[in-house]
Amino acid sequence: MGDNAEPRERNLAEEELDRKDRIFEDVLKLLVEELGISPTDITPDLRIMEDLAFDSLQIYQLVIDLEEAYDIRMPDEVLDTVVTVGDVVDLVYKFTS
Amino acid sequence: MTLEEQELAASLVRIFENVVLAEEKSIQKGYFSDLSIAEMHTLDAIGPYEARTMSETAQDLGITTGTLTVSIDRLVKKGYVNRKRDENDRRIVRISLTRNGKLAARLHGKFHAVLARHILEPYSEEEKALILKMVREVDSYMETQVERYNNEDYRKTAKEVARDTRKREE
Repeated sequence: MGDNAEPRERNLAEEELDRKDRIFEDVLKLLVEELGISPTDITPDLRIMEDLAFDSLQIYQLVIDLEEAYDIRMPDEVLDTVVTVGDVVDLVYKFTS
Repeated sequence: MTLEEQELAASLVRIFENVVLAEEKSIQKGYFSDLSIAEMHTLDAIGPYEARTMSETAQDLGITTGTLTVSIDRLVKKGYVNRKRDENDRRIVRISLTRNGKLAARLHGKFHAVLARHILEPYSEEEKALILKMVREVDSYMETQVERYNNEDYRKTAKEVARDTRKREE
């Protein structure tokens, strides 16, 4: 968004970023708990299965925890499109919007 | 019986047996090996979200609430199902999945999804539509056969089948 954006639009974009940041923090917390690694080792571009070596059970644990935390439903059809940590954040963002 | 009919009859039985066998093995070798297929299907019928009543779930599974109660007792003990009485109507028992129950049901659902994906993968969109059309027809035909045996006297039905066959041959 450029400097010419209306203040209202700027606020909305900031709110969106804030909310995505908060979701990322929650996802990070769950990943750190599961993997026992430092939060600084996790970035949005990491691939869940290839880079973090998650198996199906761990993926569903993450999904169920996020569904319960945000009171949302993430069906398998959409989970198939998730590759990176950032995709998980986007998905939770989409379902909570 | 023609050769085609023989092959179809044998394939139908084998597909049924192998699906059950593959399901059994996937459960035995998976994270939830303390569950039977029937128990896994019970978790599936309860579903991962809202609590359901015993009668609704029993109806979906095609079993009596008495039979379901026995199964739910075991699943509660194993930690896969929560059971509680409705706050407003104490006669109603609501069941829902625990976190472990949700995990088991979703992982098992994935098994079915992967199976279906692999079967359909080699085909074009048109071929997939045709396969699904045929499968739906087989499915619906088998449903009607089960219904007949549920609703009618077996001997009468068998006689009717024989009479219909004779009529067709005449």
